Amino acid sequence: MKLDQVKEGTVVQITNIEGDDLILRKVEAMGIRKGKNVQVLSKLGRSILLKLNNSKLVITKDIAKYINVQ
Amino acid sequence: MIKIRVALAGNPNVGKTSILNHLAGINLKVGNWAGVTVEKREGKVIYENYEIEVIDLPGIYTLEPISEDEWVAYNFLTQEKPDVVVNVIETSNMERDLLLTIELLEQEIPMVIALNMIDEAQKLGIEIEKERLEELLGVPVVKVNGRTGQGVKNLVEAIIKVYENKVKPKVITYSEPLESYILRASQSGKESKGELIRKLSYSKDAVEVRKDLERTIGRKFADLIKEERFALAHGLYNEVVKRKPITSKDMTELLDKFFLHPYIGIFSFLSVMFVVFKIAFDFSTPLIDWLDGFINDFLGPLMDKGLAILGIGDLLRNFLAQAFIGGVGFVLTFVPLIATLYVLLILLEFSGYLPRVAFIMDRFMHKIGLHGKSVIPLLLGFGCNVPAVLATRTMESKRDKLLVISMIPFMSCPARLVVFSFFAAIFFKNPAIVIFFLYLLGIAAAIITAIILRNTVLKGTISHFIMELPPYRLPTFKITLKLVWAYLKDFLYRAGTLIFAANIVIWLLLTLPPGVENPKDSLAGKIGQTITPIFKPIGIDDWKMSTSLIPAFLAREIVLGSMATIYATEEEKKDKEINISQTFREQINSLVNAFKIALLNTLSPTPKAFEVEEEEDAQTLRSVISKTIKPPTALSFMVFLLIYTSCLGTFGVMWKEVGRKFAILFLLYSFVLGWILSFIVYHVSKLWIT
Repeated sequence: MKLDQVKEGTVVQITNIEGDDLILRKVEAMGIRKGKNVQVLSKLGRSILLKLNNSKLVITKDIAKYINVQ
Repeated sequence: MIKIRVALAGNPNVGKTSILNHLAGINLKVGNWAGVTVEKREGKVIYENYEIEVIDLPGIYTLEPISEDEWVAYNFLTQEKPDVVVNVIETSNMERDLLLTIELLEQEIPMVIALNMIDEAQKLGIEIEKERLEELLGVPVVKVNGRTGQGVKNLVEAIIKVYENKVKPKVITYSEPLESYILRASQSGKESKGELIRKLSYSKDAVEVRKDLERTIGRKFADLIKEERFALAHGLYNEVVKRKPITSKDMTELLDKFFLHPYIGIFSFLSVMFVVFKIAFDFSTPLIDWLDGFINDFLGPLMDKGLAILGIGDLLRNFLAQAFIGGVGFVLTFVPLIATLYVLLILLEFSGYLPRVAFIMDRFMHKIGLHGKSVIPLLLGFGCNVPAVLATRTMESKRDKLLVISMIPFMSCPARLVVFSFFAAIFFKNPAIVIFFLYLLGIAAAIITAIILRNTVLKGTISHFIMELPPYRLPTFKITLKLVWAYLKDFLYRAGTLIFAANIVIWLLLTLPPGVENPKDSLAGKIGQTITPIFKPIGIDDWKMSTSLIPAFLAREIVLGSMATIYATEEEKKDKEINISQTFREQINSLVNAFKIALLNTLSPTPKAFEVEEEEDAQTLRSVISKTIKPPTALSFMVFLLIYTSCLGTFGVMWKEVGRKFAILFLLYSFVLGWILSFIVYHVSKLWIT
């Protein structure tokens, strides 16, 4: 499943991130990395709010669709 | 004195600025990085025999630069090479932060690690083995608390020690065969590991080595190095963190229930903005009025008297009174507003609330092609365009920033409101509706401008939205004050010099040729008469009105005063005889009074700043104006005043933030747009009202 399809409130594990876009490297640098658990807190407009360890992150859906989760 | 150049590097929101504040004390400076609109904060520490220059780099997650601020940080580290890098880490998010640490180590610049927010980490049950981290990386590690300043002195000592002993961090070695391929990319044998990796990733010179590597291992180099770095960060984290964090339900969770709620969040945002506005304007307005009076009724006459005693001629005295007291004094009256707004903006910035607003509002803003972050500067524009333009500093993409800056001047500010209410009250039965229409027209002009720019010079898609929502934090009083002072210094210096210069020009226009008595015969009057044909199609065919548009460029509220002068309705200036000690006492009393009113206004539940007071000389001007011009002309004049050329303060700050070319082009554009809109309004309204 892609991260942008995950329902609000669900915790998922990141299996891999597809693509070479630099923006994805930044996403990874911010902590969204393979093997990490993230919780989808809410979806609003084009953005998704995620919880990861002690931080909260916002990414847009067009980025989330490159992120595979299970 | 031995000079050391230090760069603070770290992820966004890890508290670098707070550490800089404690390091630099009052030597804190804010400005821009050359050529870009990314804010630069720097400071100086004098310690024993050392002068340490500290530069706060923009917050970055990785040394793979994408946005403007990331390029700034990257270029500084790789090209200017500071003597020492201080890597600031948010201890409770250490695993994430360690990626940047590794990339910094690859640069092989002497380094110190500052484990910041150690108190927050302890609350979460995180314990770091500092000695183990030092041993593994070969860099000194200092625990600090950026809020209180605890540990900052140790940080300074560590910087000096690293500098003096030329302590180089341990060279990072990746696994074989990756490591030997990286070394093969070397040509001079002197490149740092970071340079080699970058070369192998992007350079043509190393393309053979990269192909060879990818053939042998069967995977992309970029993926390999990324995985190695992540693994290293993960390994380091597990090695030095004693207890794993416990998740706690704290303040942040509670506040986010409201602030991030899809509906309550919007309501909370509007409430917060209302409070910010109310405090900023209600608190500063009485102080601005006082300062204005103090400068014009006390300092001005005092200076004039002093100069007269010294036997200085009339012309020079007149020049100093108008260009110096009028110009520099005018800038000074902005200070209470700017200072109050900055206190509030710094609170908002440090509190971590701003990224949440961007998140909540993005769904509306991106529909009209704007980034969620543009909400705040645009709203501030309704208060005063000058700090609104400054507030765009928090935006990352240059394109988004330029878009917002081009929209701000059309947000009508209270200075324009003064003029609107004067005209609207004379000519229209329902002035409030006219004023409301003008505000809407301003917003429409802003949106039109954004659409034009988006389809021409500022093409491209709205930047992606990726950002972190940090936990809620409060800056200390001391840090807030120091930052406000740094901003004020910057504002006074740059805006002051420019406004002073412009004032000289306008003063010259009004007083030349020498000995001019009637404004009609002055250069300004001549210019006014020359430009009248331009304004004729929009209904302004009186040189007196067009001439008064010239000083209006200084500040909108001057329009009424200068109209009064030009229409020669103002009484002869009384020779102000002042009794220095008595006036001084009066001024002190009124200052105390101004503070009292400021506090009362701030506490009262309704906003006070928008209650418009009539200028004293308005009464006589009113009767003249009502006889000489017709309602469509008045409407056209107001529209033109709303749209054309932002005031000098805004112009100055635009010049400073985005450059001369942009500021001047914008001036021309707004003039043309103002003319077109006035033309339409004038001719349409002529059909309805005559």
